[in-house]
Amino acid sequence: MAEESILTDDFLRELMNVGEVDILIGVPTLNDAATVGQVVQCIRTGLLKYFPRQRAAIVNVDGGSRDSTQDLVRAASISDLAAGTNPNALRTLHSISTSSAGSTENGAALHTIVAAADLVRATTCAIVSPNSTSIEPEWIDRLLRPVSRDNFDLVTPIYRRHKFDGLLVRNLVYPMTRAVYCKRVREPHPSEIAFSGKLASHFLEQDIWSQPATENGAETYLVIAAITGGFRLAQSFLGPKPRVDHSSGDLVLAMRQTVGVLFWALGKNFPACPANVAEEVPVMGQQADVSLEPIRVNRKRLHQMFVHGVAELQPVLDSILSSSTLAELIQAAGTPEDKFRYSDELWVRTVYEFAGAYHREVISPDHVIQALAPLYRGKTYMFLVENRDASGEEVEKNVENLCLAFERLKPYLLEVWDGRK
Amino acid sequence: MWELMVAQLTQATREIVGSTARFLPHLLEMLLIVFVGWIIAYLLRHILRSVLRLMGLDRMSEHAGAAQLLNKAALPAPSELLSRLAFWLAWLGFILIGISVLGIVGMQEHISSFFGFLPRLFAGLFLLFIGLLAASFFSRAALLAAVNADLPSPRLVSSTIRVLMVVFTISMCFEELGLAAHTVLVAFTLVFGALMLGLAIAFGLGGQDLARRYLEGKFIYDKVKTEERDELSHL
Amino acid sequence: MALQHDLLWYKDAIIYQVHVRTFYDSNGDGIGEFRGLAQKLDYLQELGVNAIWLMPFFPSPLRDDGYDIADYRSVHSSYGTLEDFKVFLDAAHERDIRVIVEMVLNHTSDQHPWFQESRSSRDNPRRDWYVWSETDTRYRGVRIIFTDTELSNWAWDPVSKEYYWHRFFNHQPDLNYDNPVVREEMWQIMKFWAEMGVDGFRLDAVPYLVEREGTSCENLPETHAVLKELRARLDKEYPGKMLLAEANQWPADLRPYFANGDEFHMAFHFPLMPRMFMGLKLEDRKPITEILQQTPAIPENCQWCLFLRNHDELTLEMVTDMERDYMYDEYAKDKNMRINVGIRRRLAPLLDNDRRRIELMNGMLLSLPGTPIIYYGDEIGMGDNVKLGDRNGVRTPMQWDGGWNGGFSSADPESLYSPIMLNPVYGYQAVNVQSQKRFDHSLLSWMKRIIKVRKSMPVFGRGTMEFLYPANHRVLAYIRELGKERILAVNNLSSSAQVVELDLKKYKGEILIEMFGKNIFPRVTDRPYLLTMGPYQFYWFRLRKI
Repeated sequence: MAEESILTDDFLRELMNVGEVDILIGVPTLNDAATVGQVVQCIRTGLLKYFPRQRAAIVNVDGGSRDSTQDLVRAASISDLAAGTNPNALRTLHSISTSSAGSTENGAALHTIVAAADLVRATTCAIVSPNSTSIEPEWIDRLLRPVSRDNFDLVTPIYRRHKFDGLLVRNLVYPMTRAVYCKRVREPHPSEIAFSGKLASHFLEQDIWSQPATENGAETYLVIAAITGGFRLAQSFLGPKPRVDHSSGDLVLAMRQTVGVLFWALGKNFPACPANVAEEVPVMGQQADVSLEPIRVNRKRLHQMFVHGVAELQPVLDSILSSSTLAELIQAAGTPEDKFRYSDELWVRTVYEFAGAYHREVISPDHVIQALAPLYRGKTYMFLVENRDASGEEVEKNVENLCLAFERLKPYLLEVWDGRK
Repeated sequence: MWELMVAQLTQATREIVGSTARFLPHLLEMLLIVFVGWIIAYLLRHILRSVLRLMGLDRMSEHAGAAQLLNKAALPAPSELLSRLAFWLAWLGFILIGISVLGIVGMQEHISSFFGFLPRLFAGLFLLFIGLLAASFFSRAALLAAVNADLPSPRLVSSTIRVLMVVFTISMCFEELGLAAHTVLVAFTLVFGALMLGLAIAFGLGGQDLARRYLEGKFIYDKVKTEERDELSHL
Repeated sequence: MALQHDLLWYKDAIIYQVHVRTFYDSNGDGIGEFRGLAQKLDYLQELGVNAIWLMPFFPSPLRDDGYDIADYRSVHSSYGTLEDFKVFLDAAHERDIRVIVEMVLNHTSDQHPWFQESRSSRDNPRRDWYVWSETDTRYRGVRIIFTDTELSNWAWDPVSKEYYWHRFFNHQPDLNYDNPVVREEMWQIMKFWAEMGVDGFRLDAVPYLVEREGTSCENLPETHAVLKELRARLDKEYPGKMLLAEANQWPADLRPYFANGDEFHMAFHFPLMPRMFMGLKLEDRKPITEILQQTPAIPENCQWCLFLRNHDELTLEMVTDMERDYMYDEYAKDKNMRINVGIRRRLAPLLDNDRRRIELMNGMLLSLPGTPIIYYGDEIGMGDNVKLGDRNGVRTPMQWDGGWNGGFSSADPESLYSPIMLNPVYGYQAVNVQSQKRFDHSLLSWMKRIIKVRKSMPVFGRGTMEFLYPANHRVLAYIRELGKERILAVNNLSSSAQVVELDLKKYKGEILIEMFGKNIFPRVTDRPYLLTMGPYQFYWFRLRKI
């Protein structure tokens, strides 16, 4: 009996019709009808403008949308059928859609996209988020060109972001990825990413697809796999990242997608890089840009959730953290808000001890991640306070200092990893 | 008379010696069985301990928090505990077999019913262990979820879940062991029902505000409290 | 005359385009002539073509390969006499081969006696046989056709001190069709040849006959009126003679040349040709299907003329800038290959001498709706010489065998009208008729077979066409239908094997018979019809209901 495949028969048939392509752009969706139409039209325009001679295909992997998401994607096709004809296009452009084999997890979508890219032998691949409402046709050029023309294997984006955007990435994911893997990749959990066919095939062969850790954060693992696999990396400035509203409940999901994957991946590659200083990764276009317009921030609530979390989760934290770190956190939680301090060093030790606990599975790994959330809120509060009136450069400088702290304390990670400390 | 006494004493002594002589082989047999049984139980303990460690039972128990539980009770790790239990049970079995060899009237029946009871005992103990593990895991999961969702009284929620699951587990164990099954079942139902009723009353009347705040937070939070929401994004 | 009288014979024609000069030299002067051409008619009959289109053979200074005519009623001395032409014509008719001659209506050579008289003075009776002007500012904005050599559509005549209008080379002054005498004279010329027995006329450069201020001077209503008049007179006096328009225009602009079936019988479908090459390189049928979707329906008694290559450059006038750049980059990397707005190469070199691609392109040529034209030499895969000036690189002598001058002429090689191809790939020793006749698998043998198959069913020439749009865009598939005759043509434009599923539900129950091997393929059902195809492979199926 044949093994179950992630590619349905209908999708395979569509891939046969697409045939070999030079460029494949994957768009994973789930009920994104509000935004996906604009995004795929932009992708289409970008392909026609910057890669008019290349054979290209847009592949949508849908997690079970109940709206018109899939139809909107299919409408981006350019063909000789009367409805789709486009005299400005030299070639047919297939825009096809499939469902990810009964799963709504993002990892399944990425798996399908990578498998499709491998089958149609795409030399340049990309994933674009269906929510990127600030996307422009130029993004396609900026993302794909380093792969298709300059032979890079992975291109991660650099955005213009508000100084209070991407806090988890700024305060944990980027600094830790940089310290552990010695590469300065600003967006280790990218919404847009480009990679070579060679990397896609390498990624497809990894035995990670059935792991719970990659169900939701496969893009993060893609970046890590590229770094550990010795592939050529680049970063490309795209433009402003659209701001997505999150409720507090999404923080745990966000942490699973990033921190969970990061910790899990560390277990596969430990110690990933012996050096203590991270290498630069070439940047195409400008460096990261920070916007400063005022936004609504509820710092008090963050502080309260930190204090509340430390108090309520003490028994759990006890099995994760060292007694000294826990004592410092308890002390910080007991301090009045106006005197609250959560130093970079304490934060780094917290994170490293959590990483070690995750690896040793002192409790369920997912519970380790959930237990980190209140502590991250405390660090976020600290970040907001320190950068309240900071300029873009000052914010970047503070982030850089945090990164240096992660790098400096790397030997501590080595100590706590196996529970020696 | 004296000769009669001597003759009777001699007769009695002869009978005692004879009984003792007839009993001794059985005794020796029993001692041998007990000794062999000890060796087998000892080997079983070591083998079982290795197998359980290889299976990762200790690690799994740590996940579920059972390790902490046992630690608090000054009990050793699960693999050690189970292997020791197996040792004692096995040796006890052999002791009972040895006793049966002595041929004491009435003993056979008791021994048989004891052995018949053993599987249910094991099942009951297994249920208890699993139940405790699950209670620990889910109570911690509830605690973490409640803390991250900023719900009030997360420890109350966590403890409630733990207690309910433990009570449920114990009642299942008693039912499995057949000890006052009906009584326990009825008692459990009464207690569980009373607890639920109590919670409903407390929640409905005494905790109206809490309930309202909770429901608002779940369904109306987005509309009503927009001005309190921040515009931060984490990714 | 052995020819059957059929007013619509041109719909079933397979036309062979040849210049008499290039084909066969029978008198050893290095130039082909009509006696030689007549001697090779058996070859053409064996090939299977049933019409010959002769390029201009009139007396001419030959500054534009004979399109600069100096006498419309005679034959250039290098090609023989009028009597030789008549002998050739009769011999062709005996073999059921019709003959189509060129009629360059738009302009003459500046050596033509008419122009010599016209320019001699402003009062000459033939002055207004041509378009004169005191300034070169009239008809401003009209595009120049020969962009590589001409800077203006006006040329200064030092004799009569005025400008004369020329849409082509400056030595080809345009005739003035506003002059009824000119129109009558041109009719008389056509009548001359029709009376002799030619079966049709290819009218060269017809869009440009009439000029009007403030217009593009192309495709004007007055031009159509002239042409309609010619057609009416031809139909009246010589029914069954055919008029073929040479008008390099978009399909929508070509449509008026058919009018209501009372102007031209046929017109070249110029825009389709580069798109066939484009589709092949892109491995995508989109350019081909889109241009045919935009092609308007034409009257029942009219027909498109299809071709792959001809004596001119592969024109890229009727494509977008992006498409032109693509074609140049893919087919003419060497800038020597580019001329005017096109590529001066033959079929085989354009297709890298790839037999499969040559067969595929010919397969499409012979199955798409229209009358196909085969350019001489392409049936054996002749090459080109881009070092020869203008478009002479695709007009080299026909290669008959591996001997002296490729069997074209017994003259000294230096005396040939053009050097013969010598290189090891396309030279006459590698590519010639005699060697290809010996083998069943040669290109020539294959061409004979496919022409035979095409002629076996009228549906190719007279049937309708409906595209199938399989999801695999690398496959071009269409149904040709005429009454109960039905053909399915499937073409794999890709260099790799392909799978295609065709929606043939409409023809459920019919059996597919492959037309070359005549083997049976599975019956059509409700389910998609699955075909697997090798690189550049094509199928012709006949659909039969039994």
